[in-house]
Amino acid sequence: MSHRMKYWSRVPAFFQAQLKLTQAAKKGLGDDVLAELVVLRASQLNRCAFCIDMHVTNLREAGVEQRRIDLLPAWEEAGDLYSERERAALAFTEAVTVLTEGFVPDAVYERAAAQFDETELAHLLAVIVAINNWNRVNVTVRQPPGAEL
Amino acid sequence: MTNPTTPSAAQQAPAGAGHHHGPRMRWAKLAPEVYKAMIALDAAAKKGLDGTLIELVNIRASQLNRCAFCLHMHTADARKAGETEERIALLAAWEEAAGFYTDRERAALALTEAITVLTEGFVPDAVYEQAAAVFEEAELAQLIAQITTINAWNRFGVTTRLVPGQV
Repeated sequence: MSHRMKYWSRVPAFFQAQLKLTQAAKKGLGDDVLAELVVLRASQLNRCAFCIDMHVTNLREAGVEQRRIDLLPAWEEAGDLYSERERAALAFTEAVTVLTEGFVPDAVYERAAAQFDETELAHLLAVIVAINNWNRVNVTVRQPPGAEL
Repeated sequence: MTNPTTPSAAQQAPAGAGHHHGPRMRWAKLAPEVYKAMIALDAAAKKGLDGTLIELVNIRASQLNRCAFCLHMHTADARKAGETEERIALLAAWEEAAGFYTDRERAALALTEAITVLTEGFVPDAVYEQAAAVFEEAELAQLIAQITTINAWNRFGVTTRLVPGQV
């Protein structure tokens, strides 16, 4: 799986806009640990090795318990390891990421809307969209884990 | 249930009236800094790409992601830019309508599908190499950016159930 293209330095304006999108989304959500859990889960679904490596590291550095990182792919079966707010956000993340399976069903949307006010929910959606952007590009160009952007 | 046939009819209807299919929220108003960044992302992605190609890519991704709002917008934009009805209509079956699209367009459409439905194949070598054979690297980088950006708009549109023709 060799690196196909040194991508981000080729598109500096796109890179800057993508950074701004990510920052605006996270700032509006206002919960960095939740954002990192969401971003890691999307990266797992999209199998972005570069992104998983980065966000596992971020979660560890933020002091998140290792079990909460390790069990994330099975969060639905992990009992009370994740709060209802986190679980609602993770279900929403999966629906928005694997968009074409279900197109964000009402049950998933309403579960998230019960835990987040509208402004938070708009920014949570933006966090999910932004990581999907990073995932799409980094998978497409096969960005190696740990490599510089 | 009303079924407005023109954007002006849709705009006259009260928000959500008679149409249970959204919108769920007005994300751009709720997250103006995010919206601004999306506009910048969109402008940066388009740089140096052919307008005809951009709209074909936008329509195809929006078909796969079933974003009605985006399809309404980009089929209209394509028509305004002089795209033919035939090429718009056949786009969902472009592989079987090879004579209607150039080699470059077909390579771009295959790449669009692979990046959009990412988890089925994760952009196989054959698709990537076909695109790399007809687009030089700088242009290919822009094309990847464009495909990523329309996917972002699609995710906002589908998740919040934007109504076609309404802003």
